[in-house]
Amino acid sequence: MATTAEPTTAVTQPKMVNLTIEGRPVSVPEGTSILEAGKRAGVLIPHYCYHPALSIAGNCRMCLVDVEKAPKLAPACATAAAEGQVVHIYTEKALEARKGVLEMLLINHPLDCPICDKSGECELQDFTYQEGPAESRLRDPKRFNPVEDFGGDVLYTTSRCILCTRCVRFMDEMAQDTVLNVTERGDRALIGKFEGKDLTHEWAGNVIDLCPVGALLSKDSLNKARSWELDHAPSICTGCSQGCNISIDTRDNMVIRFRPRPNEHVNKYFMCDTGRLDYRWINRQDRVEVPLVRRGESLAAADWDVAIPATAALLDGHRVFVAASANLSNETLYLLSQLIRANGGTGAFTVLTGPEAPLPGVPDLSLRADRAANGDGATLLGFRRTASLLDGLTAGDVLIVADADAANITPAQLALAAAVIVIGTTLPENLRTAAIVLPIANHAEEDGTFTNLRGRVQRFYQAKAAPGMARPSWWVVGDVLAALGKGNAYYLASEVFAAMASDVSAFAGMTYDALGMRGLVVSGGAK
Amino acid sequence: MAITVKRVSRHVEQTSYVKATLQGMASTLKQMFEPKVTIQYPEQRWELSPRWRGTHRMLTKEDGKARCVACGLCPSVCPSNCIKLVPGEDENGNRYPLVFEIDEFRCIFCGYCQEVCPEDAIHVGQHYENSEYSREGHVYDLERLMAQTHPVSTLWDATDPRGE
Repeated sequence: MATTAEPTTAVTQPKMVNLTIEGRPVSVPEGTSILEAGKRAGVLIPHYCYHPALSIAGNCRMCLVDVEKAPKLAPACATAAAEGQVVHIYTEKALEARKGVLEMLLINHPLDCPICDKSGECELQDFTYQEGPAESRLRDPKRFNPVEDFGGDVLYTTSRCILCTRCVRFMDEMAQDTVLNVTERGDRALIGKFEGKDLTHEWAGNVIDLCPVGALLSKDSLNKARSWELDHAPSICTGCSQGCNISIDTRDNMVIRFRPRPNEHVNKYFMCDTGRLDYRWINRQDRVEVPLVRRGESLAAADWDVAIPATAALLDGHRVFVAASANLSNETLYLLSQLIRANGGTGAFTVLTGPEAPLPGVPDLSLRADRAANGDGATLLGFRRTASLLDGLTAGDVLIVADADAANITPAQLALAAAVIVIGTTLPENLRTAAIVLPIANHAEEDGTFTNLRGRVQRFYQAKAAPGMARPSWWVVGDVLAALGKGNAYYLASEVFAAMASDVSAFAGMTYDALGMRGLVVSGGAK
Repeated sequence: MAITVKRVSRHVEQTSYVKATLQGMASTLKQMFEPKVTIQYPEQRWELSPRWRGTHRMLTKEDGKARCVACGLCPSVCPSNCIKLVPGEDENGNRYPLVFEIDEFRCIFCGYCQEVCPEDAIHVGQHYENSEYSREGHVYDLERLMAQTHPVSTLWDATDPRGE
């Protein structure tokens, strides 16, 4: 038995090797590089050309470390960790070598940090400050190359490039669309485009994040903010049902940019350009900022204390038809489903679709056809996916438009409903006849979770403050349920999630703590 | 009942004011022959130290534009948070401040902005006549900062920047 079982365990549990890095003992699977082992031990070995998602180039020589009993310094990215190895990163020999590398890299680097967008999050800055030479010995003028537009969202500032070739390898291996190369030789070398090609691949924007210096910059966020002024909030992209992990970077309550956040189960280190550049809607200024309650001909501003009981009075005893957005969180959709369960009725949502755009180098990573984040969560929670939003609305229903795209709603459909309640971030022109408008926070302004197309439930955090009196959507719906006497009011998104986990079997056993930063797959498994 | 006050008998040298008066007059007389320290402001002006830190001035390039590249270091270093900077691009695509305002009323004139500036653009000046009729008047925009003509401060010796 034991002999037959052995090969399977060998595959699932690779052989571990034990080594010491900077005095810290660490155990890693066989074949791991010293650099990755160092990360696990909690020491970052300086590096430029190495990136965990890309093949090893070993061309920057920045990760040279001192391995005991080895005759020469070893590049940590290309040397496998071995049993009993003792690695020193900060010996005089290793520091001297890396200082030499940095001096060479800085020979032609323009040092225009004051006008460089990467300043503050630049690895060349960081490692030079850490262990680089204080002064340059170069007395000749620096080489200068003009800035080049690489197409797409990418601008190439040639002079700043340190030729790590991360971008070249990304386009070759991940995008599998060979656009970039190293042109010229020696000190004239630079990153070039092949004749007639542009960085227009759907995932090409990732070269901006991969670039360790300020050579490849986003044209979209060029000169908009310094990196140290930005606040970062972990979030989930709403662009499609893939659920890429992102960081929302804000300054003064305005979203400046999206960047991908690593999650090995979903998007590795990447996000597509469609998602990356689709953030302006978060900053829109035409938001509903106060609850509005109909007084005769017009909608009048009201306090929440007035609007919530008024909503409950409209809903009491009526069937409801909930037209939901597929970008609402699981929490809000769950509470809306509770409302449907209490009053009777149905819930529906529509999802915009577009062409798929996969990233060939990563399995199961693609800009999905469904261009909404939580269509799968809505389906799990009993909402019906339709092509036409208000299909099935019967006369006498109370229509709740929960942040859904109202562009196709006609006055005739609205006339069918007993009353129209809008729970939304904005008030579209064709919903001005609504009885009540409850302002809610948008995706970047509240906490919550999305379920992606593989059933992975992932958290997103609040990145900015909601305008005016707008409240998180789960708060609003919870208050309405409480006013109806059909549920509790909630004070935290985690409480709503806990209630959902105990009620809906797919989410059984999940909590915000258990989800962590990587998420969990709903029970029933990945589709 | 009458209150009795204890009288201390002192020597005439201690109680007489004649000597003290003469001493005071001597001091006054002595000052009449000393050099004068008061000046007839505003006809006469005080000569400022080269390190005097007064209201700001933005230096310009040969083409008349501000030297500022909107790097954001001065608003970052400013301890009184008096610099407002919105970065952008000029017509040539170079990094340039769209808005650069200093609230001189908030400013504590520490000179950090001049010290931190990598482009030799923003300076504190040798200037002290800053009165305005409103608080808003103390908010200097980029044009006003560039229009200032007073000499700028010398915070350190250019030949020996580290003071060695």
